[in-house]
Amino acid sequence: MADLAGINGLRENFKVVGQRNLPGVLSHALATGVAKFGIDYVRPDMLHAKFLHSPYANARVLSVDTTKARSMPGVVDILTWEDEDIVNLVSYAEHWGAPRPWLDNIADQEGAEVAVIVVAESEDICEEALRQLQVEWEMLPHVVDLHEGKKTDAFVIRPQDRSTPAFGAPAPGALPNPPKQGNVAYSNVIQGDIEEGFKQADHIVQYDMYMPAFASLIPNPPGSVAWWSNDFYHGEGKTLHIEGAVRERLPIARMYDMPLEKTVQEGLFMGGRYCDWGLRRSQEITPLLAKRTGRPVRCVMTREETFDSVIMKQRYMYLKVGFTKEGLITAIDDFSVSDGGIWGSSTFGHVGDQKQGPYNTLKCKNISQRMEIVDSNRYKMWVSGQHTPFNWDIVTLALYMISEKLGMDPIEVARLNLHGPSSKDDINPVPSFEACVAAGKTMMDWNWHLSGTKKLPDGRMHGMSFRYQMCPRHSVSGYKCRLEFRDGAVHMPTQGPVFGAYMVEPNAMVAAEELGLTYEDIKVDFHYAAKFSPVGGGSDGSTASAWAMKECANSLKKQILEAAIEYAESWPQMMMTPLNDPPPPEPGPFKGLRPDELDITDGKIYVKADPEKSVPLAQATNRDLVATYSGRPPLAAWLVGGCGNILDTMNAVFCEVAVDTDTGDVEILRFGAVVDPGKALRPTSLESQIDQVMFFSQGSQLLEDFVFDQRTGVKLNSNMIDYKKPTMLDVPVVEHALLETRSGNGAYGASGISHSMANTHLVITAIHNAVGVWVDPPATPDKVLAALGKA
Amino acid sequence: MLNTGFIIPGFKEENMSKVNLQINTGRRHDSGFSFSQDKSMAQVAEAIRSMPANVTDFRCPTCGNIYASLAELRFHCKKAHTDSVLPETVILLINGMNCEVLIEPHWTLKRALQFRLGLTGAKHMCDRGVCGSCTVIMDGRAVLACTTLVSECEGKCITTIEGIAADPKWKPLVDAYCRWDAMQCGYCTPGFLVSAKAILDKNPHPTEQEIREGLAGNICICGTYPRHAAAILEAAAKMAKEV
Repeated sequence: MADLAGINGLRENFKVVGQRNLPGVLSHALATGVAKFGIDYVRPDMLHAKFLHSPYANARVLSVDTTKARSMPGVVDILTWEDEDIVNLVSYAEHWGAPRPWLDNIADQEGAEVAVIVVAESEDICEEALRQLQVEWEMLPHVVDLHEGKKTDAFVIRPQDRSTPAFGAPAPGALPNPPKQGNVAYSNVIQGDIEEGFKQADHIVQYDMYMPAFASLIPNPPGSVAWWSNDFYHGEGKTLHIEGAVRERLPIARMYDMPLEKTVQEGLFMGGRYCDWGLRRSQEITPLLAKRTGRPVRCVMTREETFDSVIMKQRYMYLKVGFTKEGLITAIDDFSVSDGGIWGSSTFGHVGDQKQGPYNTLKCKNISQRMEIVDSNRYKMWVSGQHTPFNWDIVTLALYMISEKLGMDPIEVARLNLHGPSSKDDINPVPSFEACVAAGKTMMDWNWHLSGTKKLPDGRMHGMSFRYQMCPRHSVSGYKCRLEFRDGAVHMPTQGPVFGAYMVEPNAMVAAEELGLTYEDIKVDFHYAAKFSPVGGGSDGSTASAWAMKECANSLKKQILEAAIEYAESWPQMMMTPLNDPPPPEPGPFKGLRPDELDITDGKIYVKADPEKSVPLAQATNRDLVATYSGRPPLAAWLVGGCGNILDTMNAVFCEVAVDTDTGDVEILRFGAVVDPGKALRPTSLESQIDQVMFFSQGSQLLEDFVFDQRTGVKLNSNMIDYKKPTMLDVPVVEHALLETRSGNGAYGASGISHSMANTHLVITAIHNAVGVWVDPPATPDKVLAALGKA
Repeated sequence: MLNTGFIIPGFKEENMSKVNLQINTGRRHDSGFSFSQDKSMAQVAEAIRSMPANVTDFRCPTCGNIYASLAELRFHCKKAHTDSVLPETVILLINGMNCEVLIEPHWTLKRALQFRLGLTGAKHMCDRGVCGSCTVIMDGRAVLACTTLVSECEGKCITTIEGIAADPKWKPLVDAYCRWDAMQCGYCTPGFLVSAKAILDKNPHPTEQEIREGLAGNICICGTYPRHAAAILEAAAKMAKEV
C-alpha cells in the first residue's frame, strides 16, 4: 500500500531524516526558562480578572447584587451576564452542541464560570470582591451518576440543548439516530445482520465494565493577557495584543472585529494542548476587559479550575461477542453508556467515528454499536486527545476474551480476524501487522499463557496482554509551505505558537535532506503571521506537512540550481556592482550546464558528472529566492476508500504485569511498543510520544479517576494531590521498536501515529490474565482485592 | 501621586517593551524570529540583568497609587485601606544579585519572581507544592516557590533556572536536556532542570534510580520521564570529564 507520491518519495539515502538527538528548535528556550507561555506575561499597569465560579453542580443565578463588591478599593470593573458588552460577545472558537450565550446565568458543573467577571488591581482583590457579591442561586437537581441521569423520570438538566452528537452522526444514507430523550442522546451504527451473526457463532462471551474519566490537565493553566496599543509597527489604528490564546488568533480577531494583521500574538509557546483547541473564557475575555479599562488585563485559571475538562469520558461498556470454534468473530453487539458532559462538550469518540475505528479492521460484517450519551454535570470534554479515540478498547477486549475462551494466543486471534489491505474480504492481514507482531514477540519473549496460570518466583501472578491498531491519521489538513534563500542561507518561516510535539523539526529535517544541507542549516524563523503551520493531528501533522515541505524544498532547489547557472553565465555583468559593495563571489564552474546536471550535497552545489567541480551554496548565487508550496499529500488510502476498510501502517503494543494477590498491588513490569510510522522522520520525539501514551494508559488504568460527591455533585479531587498522575517512580520501562515499511502517505511513506496509540484496557486485560478476574479501572489495590473476594 | 505605574518597579514602559520583545521572541525580523542556543543564552543574561536592584515606585496593592518610599506607602495603606495588609520590602539574593522587592506578607516566592523580578522560569502549575514546576534552589536545597513565602527567603541564596542556565558550568546539563528531548510541551522542564541540578550538586555521579528518586517530585504530563535520566547521566559524564 505504499503511497509514495511526490518528489523523492522513494529516497533511500538519508543523511538528516531519521537522525536522533537533534535538539528541537525551541528546546534551549524551554530548558533555560526564557520561553514565555501566555500566562507568564506581565505588563506594566496590568489588571487582573476572575470569574464567579459555581459552588453547585447545577444551578441558576437568579440575581446578583454587585454594590458591595463595586465599592471595594481596587475593584476596577464588574461585568455580569446581562451587561451589553457581554451579551454581544460571540465566540468563534471550536464549539460543540447547541449555541449558547458566551456567558450566562447557568452553572452546569461545580466550579463553572458563571454570571460575573471582576476586574481589579490584584487577584486577591478579585477573589475578595467575588466573595462580596450577593448572589441569589436557584439550586437544581444534578446528574453525576450516568445511570441515574438516563432514567426516564430523571430531571432534564439541559432542556435547552436537544442537539445530537456531531461526531456521532451516522454515515450518509444510514438510519438517523433517534432524537434525544430526556438527558440521553443516541449514537448508533448497525452493520450487517446481528441476529444471523450470532446464529453462526459456536461461542458467545459477554463483558460488562466501567471506564473512568481521564483528566486532560493541560500543564499550563489556560489564561491570557491582553492589551491594546497604537504600535506603529502594525499600522494605523489600535492593535490588539493577546498572549495565551494558543493557536486561535483568527477567532479572537473575529470576536473583537479586528483585522487579523492587527491581532498580534508573539508568544511561541502554548504548552501541552494535545488536540485541545477549545478556547476557555479566560482566553477570550481579556481583550474586552482591556478595552473597557484602558489597561492590560490578565485572566488566568487556577489549577483547580482547570480540572473542568477531560479527554476520556466516563463510560459503561456492555459487550457481547459471537465467534466460531476457530476464533473467527461472527457478530459483535456493543452497547455503552457514555458521559455527554456539560453543555458544549465534544462528542468525539462516539460510535459514529467508527470509519476511523477498530471495527473496520475486522473481517466480521455483523456489528451493532449503540451508545447512549447522557448529559451530566460532571465536566467538559473539549475534544478527545491521544488516549482513547475511536473506542479501540472494545476490539482489544473481544480478542482477549476469545483467546481466553479458546486457549488461543491473542495474536493468533487477531491475525485470524484482521482483514487485508483493501476490504473486509481480504483474508490476510497487511504486512505491517505481521512485521509488528513478529518484532513484538521477539521483544517481549512472547509466550502466551491462560489467565491465572503463571506465578513469578516472588509469588506474584504474571499477566500479559496485547493489542494492535491501525494508524488512523487525518491527512486532511492542507499546508502552506514557504522556504526562502537569502544571504546564502535557507530560512523556513513558521507560524507560532507551537505545542509540544516537535512538528516543526521534521519539516526542517526534510527541507535539509532535500536541499543537501544539515539540520542546523535550516533557519526556522517564527512569526505569528507566517502561513506555514505544521499542526494537524499530532505526528500526522508532522508527516503530512513534511510531505508538502519536501515539495517546497525541491522547488527551491530547482531555483537555486537555475540561479547558480545564471550567475555563472552572467558573471561579467555581475561585476558591475557599486564600488562600495563587497566584490561578488567567484562563480561556480557551472557555465554552459543545465540544472539537471547539478546537485547539492553537504552544503555545496556540484556537477554530477564531476563532483570535484563544486562551490558552497552560499557563494553560488547572489539572488534572494523564494519557493512556496500549498497542498497536502494524497489522502491516506483508508480515507479515500471510505469506511476505513483500507489498511496500511499498523502498530502493536504489549504489557506485562505482576499482581500481588495478598496486597492487591499491580506492577507493570514493562510495556513494549512496536510501531510502524512508515518512515521515522525524527525518532527521538516519536519514541517520546509513544511513552506519553503508554503513561496515559498506566494512569487511567491504575491511578486516575474523578471522584464526585453524589449528594452534592461536587468534585472531590480537583487538584494534583488527590487526583493521581503517574510520577517518575511509578512509570515502567517502555521498550520501543520503530519499523519502517514506507507504507504511509506522508513524506517518504511516513505515517502519523499519534491517533493510533490508544491503549485502553491493555493493563486491565493483563491483570485479568494474571488473576482471572476483571477489575474496573483504575485498578487500585482495594479494587483488586475486592475482585479477588478478599476485601 | 500617579494613577498609573509599573508592575516591575524601576521599569519604564519603553524599557519594558524592549525587554519583553527580546525575552519573548528573540530577534525581530521581517520574516520572523529565529531561535538558537546563543540567542536563548543572551535572553537568559538579559533576564538576569533586568532584575531591578531597588524598588523605585512603591505601588499600593489595593488602589494602584504610587509613592516615593515604603514609609509613605504604608502610611497611605494604613489610612486609606484599613482592612488591607501592609506592604513591605525584602532583599532577595537571586542568581547572585541582591534585589529589593516590594511584597505583601502573604506573597509566595513564585509570585515575587514573576511579578516583581520578571523571572518566569519557575512555572505556575499545581499551586500547592505537588508538581515541582516552580522548583528553585534555596541555600543548596530544592524548594517549591509556590508554597514558600517570600518573606521567609530574605538572606537566603536563591538560584532559579535562569541562574543555572547562565552559569557555563551547567551548559552540559542544558545541552543534554535539549539533545534528549527531555521536554515535550516544555512547561514543566525548568522545574525538572533545577531539580536535576540539585541532584548533581549533591551527587555528581548519580545512578538512574537515584535520578528517578530525585525527580519524583516533578510531574510531567507529556511522558518525558525516561528522557530525564538519559540527559542527566550524559551531562554528569561530560561534566566529570570537564572537571
